[in-house]
Amino acid sequence: MGIKKVGAKPQTLVEKIFFLDFMKGLSTTIKHLFKRTITVTFPYEVLEPTIRFRGVHGLRNVDGTESDDFMSWVKKLKIKPPEMGETRCIACKFCQAACPVPELFTIKAKKLDVPEDHPHHGLKVLDVFDMDLSKCMFCGLCTQACPTDCIIHTDVYDLSAYTRRNWVLNKEMLSEIADDFIARRGKEKFDEKSRWREDQTLWPLDEEDLRVRAKLWDGNIPQLGPNYLDQNQNNQSN
Amino acid sequence: MSWISLEKAEKLKQKFENITVNENNGYTTVEVPKENLISFLKFLKEDPEYQFKMFIDLTIIDHDVKSNPRFQGVIILFSPEYKERIIVKTWATNEELPTLTQIWPGAKWAEREAYDMFGIKFEGHENLVRMFMWETYPYHPLRKDFPLKGYEEVELPSLNEAERGDQLEGLFNYSRMHTAIPTLEDLEITQKARMPKKSSQIVLNWGPLHPGTHGTIWFLFDLDGEYVQKCDIIIGQLHRGVEKIAENIGYQQFIPYTDRMDYIAAINENHAYVVAAEKLMGIHEKVPEKAKWIRTMMAELSRINSHLLWLGTYALDLGALTMFLYTFREREKIMDIFEGITGARFTINYFRIGGVFADLPYGALDAIEAFIKDLPERINDYERLLTRNRIWVSRNKDVCIITEEDVYDYGLTGAVARASGVPYDLRKIDKYDMYGEVDFDIPIGDTGDSYDRYLVRMEEMRQSVRIIQQCIERLRKFSKNDPYFFEPEDPKKLKISIDGRGMKLPQGEVYASTDNPRGELGFYIYNKKAGIKPYRVRIRSGAFYNLQVFTKAIVGRPIADAITLLSTLDPVVGETDR
Repeated sequence: MGIKKVGAKPQTLVEKIFFLDFMKGLSTTIKHLFKRTITVTFPYEVLEPTIRFRGVHGLRNVDGTESDDFMSWVKKLKIKPPEMGETRCIACKFCQAACPVPELFTIKAKKLDVPEDHPHHGLKVLDVFDMDLSKCMFCGLCTQACPTDCIIHTDVYDLSAYTRRNWVLNKEMLSEIADDFIARRGKEKFDEKSRWREDQTLWPLDEEDLRVRAKLWDGNIPQLGPNYLDQNQNNQSN
Repeated sequence: MSWISLEKAEKLKQKFENITVNENNGYTTVEVPKENLISFLKFLKEDPEYQFKMFIDLTIIDHDVKSNPRFQGVIILFSPEYKERIIVKTWATNEELPTLTQIWPGAKWAEREAYDMFGIKFEGHENLVRMFMWETYPYHPLRKDFPLKGYEEVELPSLNEAERGDQLEGLFNYSRMHTAIPTLEDLEITQKARMPKKSSQIVLNWGPLHPGTHGTIWFLFDLDGEYVQKCDIIIGQLHRGVEKIAENIGYQQFIPYTDRMDYIAAINENHAYVVAAEKLMGIHEKVPEKAKWIRTMMAELSRINSHLLWLGTYALDLGALTMFLYTFREREKIMDIFEGITGARFTINYFRIGGVFADLPYGALDAIEAFIKDLPERINDYERLLTRNRIWVSRNKDVCIITEEDVYDYGLTGAVARASGVPYDLRKIDKYDMYGEVDFDIPIGDTGDSYDRYLVRMEEMRQSVRIIQQCIERLRKFSKNDPYFFEPEDPKKLKISIDGRGMKLPQGEVYASTDNPRGELGFYIYNKKAGIKPYRVRIRSGAFYNLQVFTKAIVGRPIADAITLLSTLDPVVGETDR
């Protein structure tokens, strides 16, 4: 078992008389005087959150990138087969079951009011999907529980509001947030089956963002490469 | 595993007749009748064959209202000589137990907490007051008949409602009724109960809202001139009942709550809980190696993160402002890496029972490598500024010495114990995750003064860099397709999922702990029967016990040393209060 004794020698007389301890300390301080600033001047320069960032939630709509078992889930829960642009949510409440604060969700489905001979007779649609984000811990468990990859985390982080009322998001707002996020960064985060991409990078690689991020890395931001031997060069071109 | 063997425990029967010894997958428990408890513990402590000198934890299990006797005391001890632990249990008939403070003074706060949370009286305790709640609080919240939501009896409208006329009624489950809150009179009674006899004219109050206390801790100093005669601490302003929450929630769902205990080192809190739950399931050995290496690496990064914050604020408190700016620059890089890997900078929730929730993103190892290549030079910079600086030395050297004896009596762990010359490091003793395969040294100090605690933590950062280097080397050899989450052979028998729905843990009990930057963080999980919720979760907080020694080490020291001592003990209120 390796044990290492720590300790420092007492000051020598030379050190005491010539204030060498202060000199050494000052040299460090002076060295830093000539370094570049590391702070990001926030409203003027904005650091884009990383791809995995867990920000405000969104509800994804059907856009042709659903996973293969999406339709079987829809059938299983007797949901009206959604068309393009309609929500992927099937009101299964898995997100609520996985949530550490389950009362933040209100999820309700309603039966379609159609005549008996209609093909959608007896099927349900999502009626209410409210989230009270003032109770949310942003832990990400709901997104991992979602069987249809509907609920996702986006990179939106400014949540301030004057009243608690504004923290409650309904399904229209959530859809809008998701649509906006998918349009901006969807391809970076998800593959064509809505799973997390394998080649998600540690931080965004576009030039403007790297320039800002380089500031907080003291001007020499590390070059990102593969983690494992068989990991391919990432194709972030799209 | 570092537990007393069954044979050795059976030998105790020759000495004490009416004890029972149980073994539950590696964890040996001894049940002792209440009458013999004190003599039994004394024997354990003093007998050369056992030497359970170190007090780890004391807690209570409530076996439901109907059972008689209802409460059971659980005492966990450690033998530094043989590197073994033991659990001693005893039934608290009539809701009373004998006090252990004569054997281990460190049991004082644990007994206060047991009284506060369960209403167990300890005969012979010097001043049995509440630990977290205020003195006039009528309930004992961790009892099983206390509802999770508490008793809502005070009307407290939201400021939105009171001042803006905003109608919040009917908005989700918003309610104006709240559980009881202390009034100023209640706080005064609490303060008086903590220090019934004072020798000086005034008792100096420090905190609860003082920047120097690093959180909401309320100190009471009984002074003689500038020198502290007596000290007591009131904590609990951040008490959220994490243990109660744990008993009412699924296993995977509890991990985000552990983030919010020690928020400075959230990953290490996740780690301790995850390891404990895995040991209870018996899958800790079977977790994929890649996940274990990732966890080891992340835990050490988090340790550096925590120590950097400690160094910055510690130096700031002693008047060196620049240190704060320098360490926060390095911290920002770690947080940036955390954000990229896990999606959050602070409350991370990355570990899962059975592994981690996602593989490392592209480029993570490169960024970490670049960071740790740079860090040792930065630490040298910090040391050049502080270690030999005469002001720094005179404010730290021989200040508030904590002896080896104190370490055992008060159950001190982490850097505080190591600075006093006790090489107690669970990474070496328990070898959880991949700590058995990495090579590192335990830094230990000489005298146990504040200066030693400072040097030990600085060296710990360097050792963490060493561990991370080895982790990166090993991780590079894995394939991207290697699993990062445990998959059971028979999913019907053992259900385990990343999101934790429907996950069941078996019946049994476990005490597993990891080495947190702030000391030993242990989780004692007791499960009466297999289920999706634990029956009892006890969190053994290192910061809680480390903070307790403050009241002893400060006695006889000038009031200015309180800042030095508090900073070098480095408690985080989220963890002490839970």
